[in-house]
Amino acid sequence: MTFTQVIINSIVRASELTLLSLGLTIVYDILKFANFAHTEFAVVGVYLALFLNVTLGLPIIAAAIIASIVTGFLSIALDRAVFKRMRSSSGIIVMVTSLGLGIALRNSIRAIWGADAQNYSVAPQAPIITHYFRITPLQIWIVLVGVAAMLSFHLLLHHTTLGKAMRASSDNPELAQASGIATEKIITRVWLIAVAFASLGGILIGLETYILPYMGFAIIVPVFCATILGGIGNPYGAMLGALVLGFAENFGLYVNFGAILNLGGILGFSKELFIPTGYKPAISFIILILVLLIRPRGILGRKKEG
Amino acid sequence: MGLVNFLAYLAIMMGIYAILSLSLNLQYGFTGLANFGHVAFFCLGAYTSTILVLVFKMPFMIGILGAMVIAGLFGYVISIPTANLKEDYWAIATLAAAEVVRIFFLNEDWVVGGGPYQGGSFGIGGIPQPLRSLFSAYTYPFFYLAVVLVCLLATYLIINTLTQSPFGRVIKSIRSGDSLPQALGKDVRAFRMKVMAIGGTFGGLAGCLWAHYHGFISPDQFLPLETFIVWAMVIVGGKANNRGAIVGAVIIMVFYNSTRFLKDYIPIEEVTLASLRMVAIGVLIVVAMIFMKEGLIKEKKTIY
Repeated sequence: MTFTQVIINSIVRASELTLLSLGLTIVYDILKFANFAHTEFAVVGVYLALFLNVTLGLPIIAAAIIASIVTGFLSIALDRAVFKRMRSSSGIIVMVTSLGLGIALRNSIRAIWGADAQNYSVAPQAPIITHYFRITPLQIWIVLVGVAAMLSFHLLLHHTTLGKAMRASSDNPELAQASGIATEKIITRVWLIAVAFASLGGILIGLETYILPYMGFAIIVPVFCATILGGIGNPYGAMLGALVLGFAENFGLYVNFGAILNLGGILGFSKELFIPTGYKPAISFIILILVLLIRPRGILGRKKEG
Repeated sequence: MGLVNFLAYLAIMMGIYAILSLSLNLQYGFTGLANFGHVAFFCLGAYTSTILVLVFKMPFMIGILGAMVIAGLFGYVISIPTANLKEDYWAIATLAAAEVVRIFFLNEDWVVGGGPYQGGSFGIGGIPQPLRSLFSAYTYPFFYLAVVLVCLLATYLIINTLTQSPFGRVIKSIRSGDSLPQALGKDVRAFRMKVMAIGGTFGGLAGCLWAHYHGFISPDQFLPLETFIVWAMVIVGGKANNRGAIVGAVIIMVFYNSTRFLKDYIPIEEVTLASLRMVAIGVLIVVAMIFMKEGLIKEKKTIY
């Protein structure tokens, strides 16, 4: 694999992770709990899109958009049914509840659609192959959607009333409410945006690889890691975290650590040393631990509470 | 499988899961540590004991001790980077750590000696059952049940004594925030690490008992799913109550094992049934968290 190829793979992975970690971080920012059902919501969107695309025969773009919006509204309904009752509970209680909700969602999907891998019905597209890299039109789309998501988040946060209200509620919910900001209304919109983006991210991952009921669990660690890496509750941190993680996951397997240990011949370490592919899922965990040790509040983390 | 044998099997499973549930309850119920990777201790205990007894031909007692020591050490080590952090970080760090433990045993078959014992994704079979030759196939489960119950009783007594001691009062104060124990001069970090180590030790014990009962272990038996089942036990039974943790284990195990017979009565596929069972576990956690915060057996509130 060439160096350019590894960079491209990293950027594609970062774009997918961004879509998921942005949603996780804004839910944390407003509702103050780590939502362990977040990636499961994304999988609900993935399977809804599969239903629209394969069973009903809609084109994939329409299926993806409709599925993401429907999943967003589903999350609002589940928020009303579950999380709304626990607004005053501590973060750990709500977090455990979201874990239970995630288990229920994941297994409902498995009960309805089965445990086997499935695929969207899309025409196979010829990849663009050059001497240095190979990229599929889908991967270009993934990066474009990722960049569009980042830009729209920036505009949302700083150039809309909703964004201002969100930032105010995050800093001081009581003050925001006293100033006439309807906190519940903001919460509803945050769920819609967060889960719709997550679902879109999930669908893109499903398009690039395949669809499995357990795919939400497979990405929970990288998504949380990206979110924590940049400072949980900070959307820009989530973007940065996704980028760092995307590169780390791909370069982690590409770099010959033997050459690094050799230090240009000083240590005389002549063996080649690569991280075995089987350990790819462990890379995000190792980075998570390193970050927690060195900068517990993340790269862009701000000191807020004791 | 006859009914009596099935009941013995169910009772053994209840006992093993009750040990897991008691140890998670010490971490979550009493200390407020959101350990989403409890299965790591279970897995480490199972593998350590298997390696000691099967590969190194050590006696069963050494297997138990080794399982407890290694799992306890792991609990201590895993809490080094997280001990000062908030619950959200605990949850994801422990969840990820458990996955790394599983990935390790999935990729490294040399830890079980490779070759004759296989290992890796194939798992390891032929794990010796302690004192097997002294009993018939029919009576052995009852002997093993006795072994499990002795271990459960010891676990209960140790954890119950701990939680009622001054140590228990400190960890309960950690649960409601760091400021109070810190004001009293308690090293919160050290207490969290001790709790993870003690909880891990008993998790390892449960893993050892599990491995030697089934005689076969493989990495896909230690999926995060197991952790969540133990969480359901603690939440339904009643957090911060040791008897509650045992009651929770009994209820969830009965539910989990009785639903497997449903397919004899309703035309339903095995995979679908397994999924629906986990849906029920998830819904149970959500419902219990909303409507039954204290669980079935409430925590005893003591006024000092």
